[in-house]
Amino acid sequence: MTRKTLLGTATLALLATGSMAPVAMAQDETAITMIQCGDALAEGYDGFIKEWEENNPGYKVDVEIIGWSQCQDKITTLAAAGTPVGLAYVGSRTLKQFAENGLIVPIPMSEEEKGSYYPNIVSTVTYDGTQWGVPVAFSTKSLYWNKDLFEEAGLDPETPPKTWAELYDMAATITEKTDAAGYGLSAKTFDNTMHQYLHWVYTNNGKVIDENGEIVLDSPQNLEALTWYGKMVDVAQEGPTAYEQDDLTALFNDSKVAMIQQGPWVRVRLDEGLNWDVAPLPLGPQAEGPGTLLITDSLAVFEGTGYEEQAIDLAKWLTNPEHQFFYEKTHGLTPLRPVDGVEEMVAEDPTWGPFLDGISNGGPEPLFTDYKAFQNAMIDMVQSVVTGDKEPEVALKDAAEEIDAYK
Amino acid sequence: MTIRQSAVVFAWILLIPALLYVLVIVAYPLADTINLSFTNASLRRTYDWIGFDNYRNIFKRGFSEVILRTLVWTFFSVGLKMVIGTFGAVMLNAAVPGRTMFRVLTMPPWIVPMAIGIFMWGWMYNGQFGMISGLLQRFGVIDGPMPFLAFGTSAFWATIVTDVWIGVPMVTIYLLAAIQSIPRDLYEAAWADGAGRFYRFRRITLPLIVPALITMSIISLISTFNSFDIIWILTQGGPSGKTTTMIIDTYRTAIGSYKFGEGAARAVLICIFLSVFCFAYFRLISRFSGATMR
Repeated sequence: MTRKTLLGTATLALLATGSMAPVAMAQDETAITMIQCGDALAEGYDGFIKEWEENNPGYKVDVEIIGWSQCQDKITTLAAAGTPVGLAYVGSRTLKQFAENGLIVPIPMSEEEKGSYYPNIVSTVTYDGTQWGVPVAFSTKSLYWNKDLFEEAGLDPETPPKTWAELYDMAATITEKTDAAGYGLSAKTFDNTMHQYLHWVYTNNGKVIDENGEIVLDSPQNLEALTWYGKMVDVAQEGPTAYEQDDLTALFNDSKVAMIQQGPWVRVRLDEGLNWDVAPLPLGPQAEGPGTLLITDSLAVFEGTGYEEQAIDLAKWLTNPEHQFFYEKTHGLTPLRPVDGVEEMVAEDPTWGPFLDGISNGGPEPLFTDYKAFQNAMIDMVQSVVTGDKEPEVALKDAAEEIDAYK
Repeated sequence: MTIRQSAVVFAWILLIPALLYVLVIVAYPLADTINLSFTNASLRRTYDWIGFDNYRNIFKRGFSEVILRTLVWTFFSVGLKMVIGTFGAVMLNAAVPGRTMFRVLTMPPWIVPMAIGIFMWGWMYNGQFGMISGLLQRFGVIDGPMPFLAFGTSAFWATIVTDVWIGVPMVTIYLLAAIQSIPRDLYEAAWADGAGRFYRFRRITLPLIVPALITMSIISLISTFNSFDIIWILTQGGPSGKTTTMIIDTYRTAIGSYKFGEGAARAVLICIFLSVFCFAYFRLISRFSGATMR
């Protein structure tokens, strides 16, 4: 045997030994693959997963952390390529698209499970009469206002606007009497432009899709919402189409705008010197109570792994009331369920209150088979009104016709 | 086997690596894209052949407007790059002290990672914190913050300016090399005959760098036509689709909406446009070469 042959044989032997180890492990345990979006494994998940593995011998959870910017694309690409991940963190808005394409399995909830959530939450993951994901992260929005700017403009700093008309008037006063803009209006080509408009829809008793799955965007409530949204341009920062929600938060933090709609996470990010408070979103003329857009992310279980049942069990374990509330508290998210600790949380920090008030009249991100196309159509609609390219009636009608193709 | 036959076989054997390269890198993906463009491929794991439906659907939602916008965007961007690049090359060729330093100073837009350069421009265009708006306000040109990416027309031009900023150094350096290859004695003879600077540029420099100008134009045209990063990072095609070009629209369709079939049809259309440009380029080059030969 020559030296070369010996080396080759040794290399092959090493490779064979190396590749046998995972096979042996695979015979003993089934790896449940899971993708979590973000920079690190969620606090507490390590322990929850270990506990689940102990209760489910023969299964091991293999978590991959992927940055937000690539996360959804990677999950989708893997599923479409026929090599799906077992369990993944997805925006609930994509569930219908995944379901229609046969990429995920339903995760039906019992009546007891449904009842454990705040009203309307389950609708964010429901399509065709069943649930397709387990809500895992939830956000609502409220109105932040800068008390110093209110005072500077001669307004009562303790009284935020309660209606759209008051919001407009107060914003106009601030724009006129201070160097700041009265209101931070978002209209950039960005997903939260659509979200911001939907907050206006859900604070005026509007809807995008009705119970029968029909598009009802072109409604008087939504027209009012779009008209007011366009009207706010007069009292907002210059050029709303250059700003998305986070840009506006930066302006709010610099006291360059007096009011913004934002989520609860902003409470802990504002500068200490800023004199602010938070209130429920102002209401439109048709409102029946405080409202907001209900945005959830979910754990979805993908079809074709062979261990779908275990993946569903894991998803429900990770999101059971106790684990979920721990996750919400550590991540500053709006609670999904009215569990015991919520009242205490609000008592400790009353700024949580407005984020919970809007839930009962809130509405979901509508589910579409082509969610991105729907989103783009909505953003175009908002931008066309904000820039004055179209009258609200025309823009709404055009968008309603367009999104009908994506439902 | 005759000597001639074995020479042919040997030639083909030598060509195999190149042929394989072209097949794997160009031919297969292109053929697969064309094939995909006749299907309804989406997230679903199976798909059907749907004939020309994707091509018919393309023009249903204002795609003609997108094509026109792409052509205008490309025309102005390439035009400005060529004009500024030619001017820059002539300036950098001038015998002035510190010429090497000036040549080095043209490079940063090309050297800086593209995304960083684009983000920098994004900040400069910002109305509240941006340098351009700040300077214009200080000099009294505008009386309030001007977010350049907020309005259709200004966003359209802002993306062109950024593309020109990134593209000019390459044009300049390429044309500088072309100018430097012009024999000095031509200029000396013209100078001796009393020809001025502009006359020498018009009658010597310009005609002799025309092949380089044409080549650079077509290279620049292809990259500009396919320019994605600049528009995507600055505006994502907005506001109201005013900066949506064919490549942005294709990305949104294929990757954003997962309509791979429709996206492929758009990609094929882009390929056809670029093929026409390349065909025109080769015609121009051959005509120019013929003229030079005569």
